[in-house]
Amino acid sequence: MTTSEQTPAVSVVDARTVLAEITEMLRTVLDEYGLDDTEITMESRFTEDLELESIDLVTLAGELEARYGRQVNFAEFVADLELGEIIGLTVGRLVEYVVRCLNAEGS
Amino acid sequence: MAMIRTADGPDGITLHVQRLAPPDGRPPTATAVLLHGLLTDSLASYYFTVAPALAAAGIDVVMYDHRGHGRSERPCADYRLADFVRDLERLLDRLEITGPVHLVGNCFGGTVAFEYAVRHPDRVAGVSLIESNPATESWAKEIADIFRRLVTELVEHEAEALAWVNANEGGHTARLAKSAARLMRSTSIATDVPASRVLSEEQVRSVHCPVLAVYGSDSELAGQTWRLESLVPGTRSIVLPGQGHSVLAEAPGLVLDLLLSGIREPGGTPPVPVPAEGDAR
Repeated sequence: MTTSEQTPAVSVVDARTVLAEITEMLRTVLDEYGLDDTEITMESRFTEDLELESIDLVTLAGELEARYGRQVNFAEFVADLELGEIIGLTVGRLVEYVVRCLNAEGS
Repeated sequence: MAMIRTADGPDGITLHVQRLAPPDGRPPTATAVLLHGLLTDSLASYYFTVAPALAAAGIDVVMYDHRGHGRSERPCADYRLADFVRDLERLLDRLEITGPVHLVGNCFGGTVAFEYAVRHPDRVAGVSLIESNPATESWAKEIADIFRRLVTELVEHEAEALAWVNANEGGHTARLAKSAARLMRSTSIATDVPASRVLSEEQVRSVHCPVLAVYGSDSELAGQTWRLESLVPGTRSIVLPGQGHSVLAEAPGLVLDLLLSGIREPGGTPPVPVPAEGDAR
């Protein structure tokens, strides 16, 4: 992670919280595959490391909306990405996006 | 997200549905139902490509996973074309979508869409086929060949096949292939789809709504555009140069422009495809 140097301390805490929350959501999604002991970090890639299929990312988008409401729009996040890039996404990039959305809402 | 039961009783099925409304509560100008293809496909192919932009353009977008696919229920039998068409009929009823809709179908999804248009001419405003053909006799023969090959190469020699896909097409495709193998092993899809009742020439000809057919020039289907054009005079075929069968995933920008033109101006002249940024060339 390279964001910690420039972001205010509060965001660092938020990133950790958000990572914990997204980890929980991923456990729900991964549960079906019996991969619930897989370690999830900021560097984990959704498909290469966590073995998610693209439809699982749709489920994750639903979990994100349920937790954060419309402020975090996964569809918007991925709108500018090619399918290949979406497949290569890391958990960290999603965490950063969620933190950015939540901070924007608070400011 | 919603899980919707298509009918009460044992012949109903639970389908995973995603619906995107135009932003800011604007009333939609049209309703588009997006149908995905077989085996490795799911509504994610739309969710992560054209669906958000269609909604942003003011369209009510309905996507769902076909039976056996994605997050929808997976019965062990009943995978003939008619079963998929009945799912669409019942789903639209459950969603209380009664007005004419635009059907967009990728590969087999287009085959479902076309058959729905044959059966319900008053409920369809237009059909957009992406790398897809109606269920004619030649379609049935081709799909039977494809399934025969898949069963021999993927299901019966899964380990070797997946290793090859992993090395040549990457981990995500290998994972999708593994899911496809599981679907073929655990259900009757491989025998059911090719055994589907096909449309007569007369039925194909009966479609009067505007039909837009998009193909990739490198795909085997691109050489067959004359078939559909000769049967359905209202068909406009577009062949996208340098694209293959997965044109929706590879060039979503081009496909989006064509779909928007087909939905906004059914039967109008489609735009000359200009590769958008992010589209594979």
